[in-house]
Amino acid sequence: MRTDDATVAPMVEFRGVSKWFGTTQVLRDISLSVAPSEVVVVIGPSGSGKTTLLRCVSLLEEYEAGEITVAGEMIGYRIAANGERVRRSEREIAAARAKIGFVFQSFNLFPHMTVLRNVAVGPIRVNKMPREKAEAVARDLIGRVGLADKVDAHPVSLSGGQQQRVAIARALAMQPKLMLFDEVTSALDPELVDEVLGVMQQLARDGMTMIVVTHEMQFAHDVADRVIFMDHGAIVEEGDPATLLANPRSERLRAFMRRHIQGWARNLPQNPMTIERNP
Amino acid sequence: MLPEILISNFWLLLQGAERTLELSLATAFFSSATGLAAALLRTFGRWPFRIAVDVYVYVVRGVPLLLLLFFMYYGLPYSGIDVAPIPGGILVMSIYFGAFMSEVFRAAVEALPRAQWDAARSLGMRLPLILGIVVLPQAVRLSAPAFINTCILLIKSTSLVSIIGLSELTMVGRQIVERTFAPFQILLGVALIYFVICYSLSRLGRYAEQRMRHAH
Repeated sequence: MRTDDATVAPMVEFRGVSKWFGTTQVLRDISLSVAPSEVVVVIGPSGSGKTTLLRCVSLLEEYEAGEITVAGEMIGYRIAANGERVRRSEREIAAARAKIGFVFQSFNLFPHMTVLRNVAVGPIRVNKMPREKAEAVARDLIGRVGLADKVDAHPVSLSGGQQQRVAIARALAMQPKLMLFDEVTSALDPELVDEVLGVMQQLARDGMTMIVVTHEMQFAHDVADRVIFMDHGAIVEEGDPATLLANPRSERLRAFMRRHIQGWARNLPQNPMTIERNP
Repeated sequence: MLPEILISNFWLLLQGAERTLELSLATAFFSSATGLAAALLRTFGRWPFRIAVDVYVYVVRGVPLLLLLFFMYYGLPYSGIDVAPIPGGILVMSIYFGAFMSEVFRAAVEALPRAQWDAARSLGMRLPLILGIVVLPQAVRLSAPAFINTCILLIKSTSLVSIIGLSELTMVGRQIVERTFAPFQILLGVALIYFVICYSLSRLGRYAEQRMRHAH
């Protein structure tokens, strides 16, 4: 899925990104480049900064140092003539966000709107698409995530998995250049996880650029072009999934893998547990 | 003996009740508008607005309504401003209940999960649009119980404007008592009418809440 052409401009680029909550540094000098159509999966223990990293791309969190660019455009700030960082106007920030799809752990659908309205409201109110066209697009997307019979339902009547698929359709309706997934299956009952991951896998196949924060190691193994392991706000290790998941180099990743070992590890060519015992 | 005096004066009482309802509706409308504007300025405005709203809310809430009415009725004419009782009463009560309404709406807006804001922002929406289609529609639902509660207080507080000479329900009742010397029967009738109005509003509010809940 990844274009291996090294000359292609990155879709997302982090350069020396740092962020603090008060005096606590939650992102430490993050540098990372994501190519168009690449699927990058970010793993790491909770509190490692993965969600914050994702939220900074949509400027749902501000970042204090470094820069994040999406399709060559710096997110949230611009560099003034005197070299200082200046916050962009709300209009510019909103316009940038509109082109970045964000799917949340807790779905965050609008509870007072039907499924159709949830998906169509962005294109209609933000992109000024004519209502009929927007609703046609929305119906098509809702159909593609397998919920054609639910267009008139309200979110409360849907299962978690269904709500999350609507949330994906809502993000896709904005025709984003990039999709960000923040632990989108963590709030779901186990039997509902696959239906959501299936939609994401299809999206990856269709060539969408994706950054996925998840604990689903099987998904990382099967779908990711690259896996990033974060801990304490820094990128500790990165590599292609087969290598990184099977042969963790750092002790921290090995410790993390021991806790996430069930199920998926059996499918790997080499079991990290054995590596752990015979380093 | 009880019903006869009440029955013969009931029509008069109903006319008073009509005035009470007029005052209540007008005050509910203007205090809601004031309260909503104050709540939005308090939550999203720049600091001078936030301070101004805080001062307004704390000052107005800390002073009895009756005193504000006296101020308008007796105080203002001294400074050459003459306000007719009906618009004056509505004005003072709207300012007074606007302060309570602003807290009702502010609480509802702030009770909405931050996640709803995140979702709206991530779709590229900006503040006016987020307020208009995401926050306020949900805040209205969240604020319904406290809003109805404030409206009930408001309806009963209109009895205070009888002090400044408005012939609303309480005033009409007092006038009939002075004429008939049957305070118990008449005041019971007055109380019954207030109760019916407020109870109907409570039920209506409950019904609306349930309808809104079912729609979600």
